[in-house]
Amino acid sequence: MKPINEMSAGELAAFVASHLMQCDIEVVLSGGACVSIWSEGLYVSADLDLIGDGTTPRSSLRKALAEIGFAEKGRQFFHPEAKFFLDCPPGPVALGREPPKEIRTIEFATGSLRLLSPTDCVKDRLLAWYHWHDRQSLEQAALVAERNPVDLNVLAAWSKREGKADAFEEIKGRLSPSR
Amino acid sequence: MLQPIVASASTERVLVFLRSRGEGYAREMARFFDTSLRPIQRQLERLEAAGVLWSRLVGRTRLYAFNPRYPFLRELEALLDKALSFYPESDRRALLMNRRRPRRAGKPL
Repeated sequence: MKPINEMSAGELAAFVASHLMQCDIEVVLSGGACVSIWSEGLYVSADLDLIGDGTTPRSSLRKALAEIGFAEKGRQFFHPEAKFFLDCPPGPVALGREPPKEIRTIEFATGSLRLLSPTDCVKDRLLAWYHWHDRQSLEQAALVAERNPVDLNVLAAWSKREGKADAFEEIKGRLSPSR
Repeated sequence: MLQPIVASASTERVLVFLRSRGEGYAREMARFFDTSLRPIQRQLERLEAAGVLWSRLVGRTRLYAFNPRYPFLRELEALLDKALSFYPESDRRALLMNRRRPRRAGKPL
């Protein structure tokens, strides 16, 4: 296996997620690292958001991550050699008021990684744009949409349910493949 | 009012305060409820870690508010509104009657 200090974000996330799965802890990669994978590295995130299903006690997570060398500092987990740190909110994974529609699995040499689909990854980024006007998140959504098929009808309907139909109309051109 | 469910007076205080005022900081909440600062801070930190709240620094003050991305926010708000409707009128008024609109610098009170 590749040394931990040489692992990419995806490889490290897969390594950690596979270890957690062996400990009966299921996580899904979300946030910026998900953008990093779907944008093929155009955006680089320093942290890996591995989100649980909302049922795992923090103590169990701490114990499982300690087995592979991660120690909790504040709310994050750090490994002395890894290039990325882990953020492990209790979950469940949510995209606004809804759970994700689809969880994809990608196989790496270091393990299996469950992550948001490109369309759900775009929803995740759009939430930060809708609620906090975080322009970086909108740019990240556009990067994911540029390199992956995303369902604009699904995004429009979801935005409407989130009360953001008008906001979606304003930015949907950024997510269109023909832009 | 919600203590049988939330199991902590400080948690209820934080939640009803933020539901009433939209945002707030720990010292302001502790002062309002005439209680110690530390339990309020602890609940704010716990609720933020769980994704219920989010915070931002304004100067040296950490301001908390409900996380608009919390999946059960609408339901939690409905529960808090119901609980607030059972609060004594004086408490409810004290929570709600708080100036949040801007006041021009130097303008006399």
